[in-house]
Formats: sequence, C-alpha cells, structure tokens
Amino acid sequence: MKILLIEDEKELSGSILEYLQKENYLCEAVPDFEHALEKINLYQYDCIVVDINLPDGNGLNLIRVLKEIKSETGIIIISARNSLDDKITGLEIGADDYLTKPFHLPELNARIKSIIRRRSFGGVNEIVFNDLRVLPEQMEVTVSGQSLILTKKEYDLLVFFLSNKDRILTRESIAEHLWGDEMDMADSFDFIYTHIKNLRKKIMEKGGEDYIKTVYGMGYKFTDQ
Amino acid sequence: MKLLTRTSRSYIYISVMVFIISGFIIFNMLHNIFKRQLDETLNEEKLLIEQTINYSDSVPDFRLVFGHMIDVTILNSPQKKAGYIRDTLMYDSELGTFASFRHLFSENTSISNKGYTINIYKPLRDSEKLITEIVISLSLVFTSLLLLLVLVNYFIARRVWVPFYRILHHLSNYEINQAVPLELAKTDIYEFNLLSQALEKMSKKIRLDYLNLKEFNENAAHELQTPLAIIKTKLELLIQKENLDESQLKLLSAVFEATTRMSKLNQGLLLISKIENNQFLQTEKIDLSKILDKTIDHFGEMINHRGIAVFKNYQHPAFLVMNPVLAEILITNLVSNAIRHNILNGRIELNVQQDTFTIANTGIIMKTDPRDLFQRFRKSENNPDSVGLGLSIVQKIANLYQLKVDYQHHAGFHTLKISSMRLIP
Repeated sequence: MKILLIEDEKELSGSILEYLQKENYLCEAVPDFEHALEKINLYQYDCIVVDINLPDGNGLNLIRVLKEIKSETGIIIISARNSLDDKITGLEIGADDYLTKPFHLPELNARIKSIIRRRSFGGVNEIVFNDLRVLPEQMEVTVSGQSLILTKKEYDLLVFFLSNKDRILTRESIAEHLWGDEMDMADSFDFIYTHIKNLRKKIMEKGGEDYIKTVYGMGYKFTDQ
Repeated sequence: MKLLTRTSRSYIYISVMVFIISGFIIFNMLHNIFKRQLDETLNEEKLLIEQTINYSDSVPDFRLVFGHMIDVTILNSPQKKAGYIRDTLMYDSELGTFASFRHLFSENTSISNKGYTINIYKPLRDSEKLITEIVISLSLVFTSLLLLLVLVNYFIARRVWVPFYRILHHLSNYEINQAVPLELAKTDIYEFNLLSQALEKMSKKIRLDYLNLKEFNENAAHELQTPLAIIKTKLELLIQKENLDESQLKLLSAVFEATTRMSKLNQGLLLISKIENNQFLQTEKIDLSKILDKTIDHFGEMINHRGIAVFKNYQHPAFLVMNPVLAEILITNLVSNAIRHNILNGRIELNVQQDTFTIANTGIIMKTDPRDLFQRFRKSENNPDSVGLGLSIVQKIANLYQLKVDYQHHAGFHTLKISSMRLIP
C-alpha cells in the first residue's frame, strides 16, 4: 500500500508517518504543493492525505489535478480550517473524506483503511482478526462463523478497534470517533466503558476471545497478545 | 421621568407656589387698604357728628345723611374721651344674614356737659366683593400666563433637545463590533457638539481596543492550533511505546487529557471569533423539528444510557434561516447541555412553536447566577471538567441571527428559550 502525505508542518507530518509506518504502508511525505505535484504525476498511490493550506498553493488544486489524470487514488483532506465551504468543495471535486485538524492519529488511520478497503475492488473487502470477520459493505460481523448482532455504535467501535489493532486507543479518540467532537469528553468516558463492556460481552457470548484490554487511566487496546 | 416632564413639572410647581404666596400677600394688602379707607371715612363721619353736636348741641338724624347705621346716644353724665374701631358681626337686614361690619365706637362729652356715645357700623361686604373680584381677575391673568409660559417652555425645550435625543438614539443603536466607527451628526448647539465629539472620541478608543483584543484572541487561538496538534500527535505516538509502566501511563494520561481540553477550548474560542467575524455567511432554511430529531437521535444512546425520557411537542412547524453549520452547533450545544446537566432518569422537554423554541431539562439547582450562565468559562459545579463555552457559543449564534435566549428555572426544570425567531411561511 502506497500513501502520500502532503503536509507542510514538519512535526505533524513526522508523527503521521511514524504512526502509519507501523501499518506496513509505504509512506512518503512532501511539504509543499510543487513536490506533491511532481510525486502524483510520477507515481501511483493508494491513498493521498492532503492539507489544504500549503505554503505554495491550495491543496484543493492537487485534487483537481488528480481527477484530471483520472487517478484512482483515495483522497483525504486534512485542514485546520473548519470550513464547510472547503469541505463541500473538497468532496465535490472528488475527495473521499475530510478531517479537521487537530485529529487523532488512530482516526486518520481508520479513515485511510476504510478508503483503501472501499477502493480495493475485486480484492478482499473484509476485515479479519483471528476468529472475527467483518464485512464492511454489509455491516456484518461474525465470530467463528456465527453472526453477531451489534448496535451501530458497537459496530463502529469494533471497526475502529480493528483498524488500530495492537495500539492503545485513548478514550478521547474513541469518544470523538463515535460522537464527533461536539461531545464533552468527561461525560462520555463511562458511556464508552458501557459500550466496550457490551461489545466484549457479545463477542464472548459467541465464544470469541476477549481482545479488548483496558490500559489503566488511558484507554483500551485491541490485541491478541 | 423624561427631562421635559421634569422641567415642566418643576416649572409648574414653583409657579403655583409663587402664585399662592403672592396671591395671599396681594389679598392682605388690598384688605388693609380697604380697611384703612373705611376707617378714614368712619373717622370723618365721627368728626362730622362731633362737630354737629358741639355746634348745635343736638343730635341730628344722620341715618338719612349717610345711609347706614349710625347710633348716637346722649348720656346724662359727662364721659371721658375714648373710642375704637373694630370688626364685628351683625345682622344685615339687607342680606338677611349676619355679616361683617366695621364698627366705630366713640365716647365724648358735649359743651353742655352731656356725655354721648357714637356707634357707626359700615358693612364690609362691598369692599370684600371688590377684593374677591380683583383676586379672581388677577388669578385668571396669572393662570393663563403660567399656562402660556409652560407651553412655550415645553415647545422650546422639545426643539432644543432634539439633537440630544438623536445622539442618544444613535448611541443606543451602535455596537462596538460594528464595521464602522461611531459617527454622530453635527448639531447647531455647541454643548451637544462637544458631547458628540467626546462620545466619538471615546468610542473610537474603545473600538480600537476591542479590535486589537479581538485580533489578539483570534491570532492566539489560531497560532495555538498547530503546536497543540503537534503535542497531541506526539503524545499519541508516545503512548504507543511498548515499555511504558503504569505510573508513566498515568502521567501521560493526565497530560493527554489536559491537552485535549486545551484543544477543545481553543476550537471553541476560534469558533466564537469566527461567529463574531461573521464568517458563516451562507444561509439556508432549516426545519427546526427535523434538526432536533436528528440531534436527539445522534445522542440517542447517551440519552438511553442515562435513562432520560425525551418529550417532543412540535406544535407548529418552525424554520430558521441561518447557516447550517451554526444551526447544527446551536442545537447540538443545547441538546448536549440538556443531557449533561440532567439527572439520572430525568426528562427533556422540547417545545417548538411558530416563533419560540424551548428546551427544558430536569436537573439539580444551580448555584450560578442565571445572568452569568452565558458568560465564557462559566462552568457548572457538577461538571468541572467541561470547557464552559457551550452556552456562550449558543448566545453568540443567537445574537448573530437576532434570536433571544432566556434561561428560567421553574419546578425543577431548567428551561432555555429561544424566541423571536423570524417567521417563515
């Protein structure tokens, strides 16, 4: 999987790269419009993460270029400007997703995975983790072949966990993933706990293993180690 | 009390007082003058009688001469010379009642050594009538003069104060965050021009300070975004390190939480300054009940989790013309507020009418002054972890669209009312 990150803030770009590299992606990062243009004309990427405000141009124009050359690349916009106009324009001209800075790294990771899954026509469009199997298109989950009935939030939670397996997910990032950033964090922590408890119970009822580990004071980790 | 009423009223009070006092003085003066005149005639008559008695040593019939009551009594013994004049009440045959008379009494001795007394009574009624007439006509003149003066004063004052009211109107309509500085029209009155100048100068200074402060806030919030994002992502990477022990994780968790809060705060402040700068221009017609349903649905699990019962009462379709993002933020803030400050197994009541919308929730009584509720960083003592910008944002959005937000606490319900929504067919 090849990913191109276009972000002018060096530290931010470094963090994103470090997080994504663990996913066995081939990640490249460029700091400006010009270099990005060069890259997208030369190589084929599975996903491009592009910041709108670049020192030498507008990231939206890169998307226009990509569409002109009929690239199949998935596109995620990241922007500090929480502007509806940018979001609408971006999605209209062909971006797949839009993330507002600051975002949680697991969130970006989950979005990239979701886009890559959606784009891999013909390929395996499912998430498998040991005895767990998720079919995102049908929103179906099975544990050792038995189907699992989950609520929308429990399903979202499971997919989020599976996209970031073996990583600690902070309660903040889970809350934001499930309810967006308008939720006041303090309220949602015990609520998240309830959801996780239910999810855990449902998986274990079907004979699944308990993969969700609580990391003290911090959050949760989905792992079989 | 209006300035004009106040001056007119004082004017009338003082005038009436002066009128009463001067009336009293005039009345007394007239009274004394008339009395003195009457006394003079009485004395003259008395002298005439005395002269006649001295001359002819007999008592003539004066009644015919003067036409009023004169009584001369001859006494056998000589009398000392004495006498007085005073007021008295007597039966007045002409009027048929008792009336005031001026009474002269005199004792004297004639040449033939016979004493005699003279009693002359002169009715006061004529002079009293005259005085009354004078006083009445005087007061008529005075009252009409007073009325005229008050009227003239009223109209002059009204004209003179016109520029003042214009300045006042201008001032009360002016808001410091308006795009243009305060400008007041010139008047032809020196003092009002001074006032306008002083106000303009002051507002210019305040406006400049306000703009500087606003710019600083915006810049600060904006510039903080990137470092905050870097801190957050670096922390997220740090958390993933394998060899962290529990105490390190605990520390990291605290840092992470604080950073998240700071980031939320910053976003809130940025949003407020964006609203203030009117950066949400695009508007749409928004169905209030639809957006409410959507938001309630969004928080559905949270509501269930807390056992909160939601009662919807959409009596009338209501529409808001506003920016869709702001509408969503407004409703989300109101609903999440109603959930957050609710009690376990509480209630939320939504009431939509044509031009008002209320959201009421059960909850414990607040110690905060309701007037402070919409201030920034005003937090509930029950939720110290919240950022405290929610209602402030609500207020800002409402202000932008000329909506009124009121808070009420009644019968265990906290109610927020959004009113004066523009009516849209």
